[in-house]
Amino acid sequence: MHRQSTIARFTDVTKRFGRNVAVDRLDLDIAQGEFVTLLGPSGCGKSTTLRMLGGFETPDEGRILLAGEDVTRLPPNRRDVNMVFQDYALFPHMTVASNIAFGLELQGLGLGAIDARVGELLELVQLGSFRDRMPDQLSGGQRQRVALARALAREPKLLLLDEPLGALDAKLRGQVQIELKALQQRTGKTFLFVTHDQEEALTMSDRIIVMNAGRIEQDGTPEELYHQPRSRFVADFIGETNLFACQVRGSEDGRVVLDWNGILLRAAGSVESLGGRTAVEAALRPESIRLTSERPDQANALRMRIVRRVFKGSRIDLDLEAQDEPGGNAGLKASPDPAAIEALVGDTVWASWDPGRLAILQA
Amino acid sequence: MMRPSQIALTTFYWAFIVYLFLPLALMVVMGFKDSNFIGFPINAWTTRWYLQVFQDTAVLHAFGYTLLISIVSTALSLVIGTWCAVFLGPARFWGRALVFAVMCLPAVIPGVISAISMRIFIRAIGLEPGTGAIILGLTIHNVPFVALMVLSRLGAMPRSQVEAARDLGADSLVAFLRVTLPFLFPSLLGASIFCMLLSFDDFVRAFFLGGYQPTLPVLIFAELRSGMSPAINAISTVVLVVTAALGLWAERATRRLKGTRS
Repeated sequence: MHRQSTIARFTDVTKRFGRNVAVDRLDLDIAQGEFVTLLGPSGCGKSTTLRMLGGFETPDEGRILLAGEDVTRLPPNRRDVNMVFQDYALFPHMTVASNIAFGLELQGLGLGAIDARVGELLELVQLGSFRDRMPDQLSGGQRQRVALARALAREPKLLLLDEPLGALDAKLRGQVQIELKALQQRTGKTFLFVTHDQEEALTMSDRIIVMNAGRIEQDGTPEELYHQPRSRFVADFIGETNLFACQVRGSEDGRVVLDWNGILLRAAGSVESLGGRTAVEAALRPESIRLTSERPDQANALRMRIVRRVFKGSRIDLDLEAQDEPGGNAGLKASPDPAAIEALVGDTVWASWDPGRLAILQA
Repeated sequence: MMRPSQIALTTFYWAFIVYLFLPLALMVVMGFKDSNFIGFPINAWTTRWYLQVFQDTAVLHAFGYTLLISIVSTALSLVIGTWCAVFLGPARFWGRALVFAVMCLPAVIPGVISAISMRIFIRAIGLEPGTGAIILGLTIHNVPFVALMVLSRLGAMPRSQVEAARDLGADSLVAFLRVTLPFLFPSLLGASIFCMLLSFDDFVRAFFLGGYQPTLPVLIFAELRSGMSPAINAISTVVLVVTAALGLWAERATRRLKGTRS
């Protein structure tokens, strides 16, 4: 994949810890100004990837380029990247201002210049009046902002963020996500963010890289990942999903016809793109399913009975079971808008969805 | 209403306190007795023993000399002990347990044995008994205590602290001086007070390794042989008050520092 002005590039990078392969032949390009998220479960290699770029781990194989320069074996203090640590790692014996000034002093800046820059950064993270506080006098959210200001102080080419929102409570986290994204857009900096929280990744990223067992599972925009997951892992990891194990029956009107326990479903795409596979899996998001009382004019429409109903406020989670169909025990999850559905448990409804929403998994 | 087991426990506790403090209390009281003989009954009180002690140049010299030895040996122990701890802390190498055991050994070897062996050793390398020899002996004895205290503090330090310093442009030396060392400060303070107290009241090493100039414990021992006098009680009381105050202050200070700075 080639984009304009690549800021960081991993080429065939492998990292092992003993016998365990943490990162397995990774190729990755990060473009200038992007907000890229490495997303995956713990142990998938996302943090190791970040730490290799920061200089805290050295790859066993492969090369890492930063702005065209080979930094594979460079120590952290000689790289133009900075990190926001998971525990923030503020120096407890220094004030907020001294923490932010630390990196600037080591750059050899004059006192006046340091002072001005610290003030500027404190304004940026809206902590102007906290200059002389000690870290233990700050709340979690304030500490996180100090860590951010400190990491931005040296104008790094790339900012690394290692699950920096993990320690915040849920409400604050949502707010910080928005702030962080706004800050990234305002500064035009390239952010490489690591998280295991799919919602966080979807909210902030320009691009998400889903990792599993040291490899990239999928690389795309949040929308692509959500609606066109390439693998079962991605479909499962991001959001709720219905998975259909199907037989390929052929094509019809430019669509693929799938056989799911005897029920025929249509998905967008062509049989050719399946590479000769006859058994495939397809994924469908619960909120892509429409429920109607009359049979809709839709290629994918099933008569189903509601077996469970859970009210979640902004949506209702329904468990559906197929009726009058050959595969009588086939079940689906649907999450319609509460305002649009009045059906109760035991009611029979028509479940339908657009063929474009049914994604055939490639692995 | 107290249950019998509680009564027994309480009684035992107070008995222990009396056992612990009665000799000390007796020593303090006798220092104020207006008589050349130690013992009851006390018919008159005086502070002349204290005046005598503070005017006795031998005592004052011994006090200063002991203080000097304590400070120098403590400083050396801090440097060596911290170095050992930083070296052993994060490292996982073959033989680490052995190095650790060797480092701790001076703390558990009986004082007499280590003092005599040091005496033989300094003779073998051509060093005269005296100030240098005592400092050497005390330093070796103190290093394990410093190393253990620093190691435990080092274990409480998140790895990200040093990483953050490196990330912000510090090389490993600057990161150590500006981030690790301040983090270790409470344990260094505690360790130095502890070493000071250990060195100040050390008798065995000072006795075996010393030259002509006596340290305070050696001087007190020498005076005891010429007969008990309440003056010795006065010296001991002064030392007791100073060391107890220092110990209590250090304990509180390190606890407060660790509380706010970790």
